[in-house]
Amino acid sequence: MSAFGTGARLRLLEFVREPTTAALLLVLPPVVVEVYGEAMASFPALPGTTGDPGTTGRIIGALFAAAFLAGLVGLFQAVSARGTDERLHRCGAGRASLLGARVVTMATVAAVAAAVSLAALARTVDVAAPLAAFGALALGALVYGLFGVLVGALLPRQLEGSLVLVFLVDFDNVLASGVLDVGGTVAQVAPLYHPHALFEAAVTDGTVPVDHALGGVAYAAVLLALAFVAYVRVAGGEPA
Amino acid sequence: MPNIEGAAARPNGESGETSVEGDAATDADVPLRAEGIEKSYGSRLPFTDRVEVLTGADIEVPAGEIVGIVGENGSGKSTLMKVLVGTLNADDGVVERAGTVGWCPQESLLYDRLTVRETFDLFGEAYGMDGDAVADARERLASRLDFERFLDYQVRNLSGGNRQKVNLSVALMHDPDVLLLDEPYTGFDWDTYLAFWELSETLVERDTAIAVISHLINERERFDRIYELRDGRLHREEEQ
Repeated sequence: MSAFGTGARLRLLEFVREPTTAALLLVLPPVVVEVYGEAMASFPALPGTTGDPGTTGRIIGALFAAAFLAGLVGLFQAVSARGTDERLHRCGAGRASLLGARVVTMATVAAVAAAVSLAALARTVDVAAPLAAFGALALGALVYGLFGVLVGALLPRQLEGSLVLVFLVDFDNVLASGVLDVGGTVAQVAPLYHPHALFEAAVTDGTVPVDHALGGVAYAAVLLALAFVAYVRVAGGEPA
Repeated sequence: MPNIEGAAARPNGESGETSVEGDAATDADVPLRAEGIEKSYGSRLPFTDRVEVLTGADIEVPAGEIVGIVGENGSGKSTLMKVLVGTLNADDGVVERAGTVGWCPQESLLYDRLTVRETFDLFGEAYGMDGDAVADARERLASRLDFERFLDYQVRNLSGGNRQKVNLSVALMHDPDVLLLDEPYTGFDWDTYLAFWELSETLVERDTAIAVISHLINERERFDRIYELRDGRLHREEEQ
């Protein structure tokens, strides 16, 4: 097996061996979907949206759960990379290979979080295009997983980084939903703008807006490049 | 292992980045040499002072010798070690290394949720060792340092002493030409301490250059030369 393959396999093993994290991955999405759904169902209508408030709330909740969980994994991967990955790099492992193994771990968790969130949503909402909905959720989770790596590079502390992420994802998600009218430009640069549009379309209409799909993939690609730069800085051993 | 093999590194001024200048200038008799190493730490906050840690440290670690580096707490020993290994850029000075390097950091930089066996696999892969060579090194070092029965334990479940044995073994497993050990026998029981010195003497017979950093050196006769780090410089003690 290659160095990358060994690294990716062992990173996933590390993740699975933390039962609390794995349990949260399964328990949190259904809770969040229901809490968001029930909270918003109490409103007769939501500004900026035309759909049923309960359904809108559950869509926002599913995207929040997938994105936040993946973001946390990205954050923790970046924080734990400090020191240990540098030692492995000094032993001969390439930086791209090291980051690749961590991205594979984060992307796998993002896919699982997306699947669990979608399953939680599908219990109460009829999803028009499940595969497209899964893809949109996974894209949102991937975007925040990479965002987590960036936050971890700038703020290499698990508690503080988690707090930043939870507020960022929550605000971003509500912004992307259109419930708050804060102006088009601000909303369009929000990380979840494209994934939210894709997810909502997949759940309600069964369509895949190509512009949002391309925009979301481009956003993720830019974040991946930024994450690489941040990772090199984080794993480089110099104090931040 | 391009980063730690046969490189002469010189910091290039303001950026603090270290550039590598071609092949090793160091001869085989002295595989590790550092001259005029300077390093200070500052803060980005205003009205805070820079702390000068190294102010022109020179050291030679010849092949087949054990060199001790002592100094008070906070004298800069670990900073010097990081500069010698290459994980920290010096502000000024030259570090020349020839051959492969093994590094045992003071803080055991290992992956907590991997087993000892998996740790060997991961680092062996990074060193470019094949499966048989990794298995051979694992069995040899586990037997010598007496941690065979812990091979399938996760690192987080090891005692401090056993964790340190694995930390040391990772530095030794590829039979390096230069061995840099930062407080290597912290937490060792007496038998393991003696096993460590037997192992070191075997390596010295094979012309390995060994540098041991410790805040306390009791058995001075075990060292071929001893440097004391004081006021940012290394002072060689009288030959034994």
